[in-house]
Amino acid sequence: MNCYETLFVVKPTLTEQEIASQVAKIKDILTREGAELIATDDMGMRRLAYVVEKQTRGYYTALYYKAEGSKIAEIERNLKINEDIIKFLTVKYATKKEIAQFEKMVAATNKNAKAPASKETAAEETVAQEA
Amino acid sequence: MMRERKFKKRFCKYCESKVEYIDYKDVASLKFSLSERYKIMPRRLTGNCKKHQELVTIAIKRARQTALIPYIVDRKNVVDAPFETSHR
Repeated sequence: MNCYETLFVVKPTLTEQEIASQVAKIKDILTREGAELIATDDMGMRRLAYVVEKQTRGYYTALYYKAEGSKIAEIERNLKINEDIIKFLTVKYATKKEIAQFEKMVAATNKNAKAPASKETAAEETVAQEA
Repeated sequence: MMRERKFKKRFCKYCESKVEYIDYKDVASLKFSLSERYKIMPRRLTGNCKKHQELVTIAIKRARQTALIPYIVDRKNVVDAPFETSHR
């Protein structure tokens, strides 16, 4: 099992529900291929740096997952077929440093996903006095 | 005879902050190594070390592939504010 990250851009002409269903569709493909989805980074609607398929904006989503290397071709094939996805990129995190970065990014996205996380409970200070 | 140094000694800013990997989605940090026409700046101007320049190059090329930063900026293809919507 290797660590992978797939970033894809959904067409901006779709409605919110349609975009959500497209993202869910990709997640379904991942589970079908036996991938273990770790984190989802919803980057939202952004302006594209250049025109892609006559679109100037796009809805970015990044998925972090662990999967068998042989399954990536099938996942990418599905992304390629889908006409509502205008761009995608899969990056493999293999070396020690890359995996450290992968875990850092997963932690960051999970932290962002949760609404203002509850503050750590104030540490109770027990002062033990020693005679 | 010692020759006088012509240029100011530059330091790799990634080495100083001990960066191990550069994320291509973090567009704002890539801007340091891009010219105003979005070309990759050479090492002699930014002062990056070879190791980090290679990481920067990979990150920039990936960001270009995913339309996060432009390949080219010219009169036909003007980007007024490419970093207006940065996430986080």
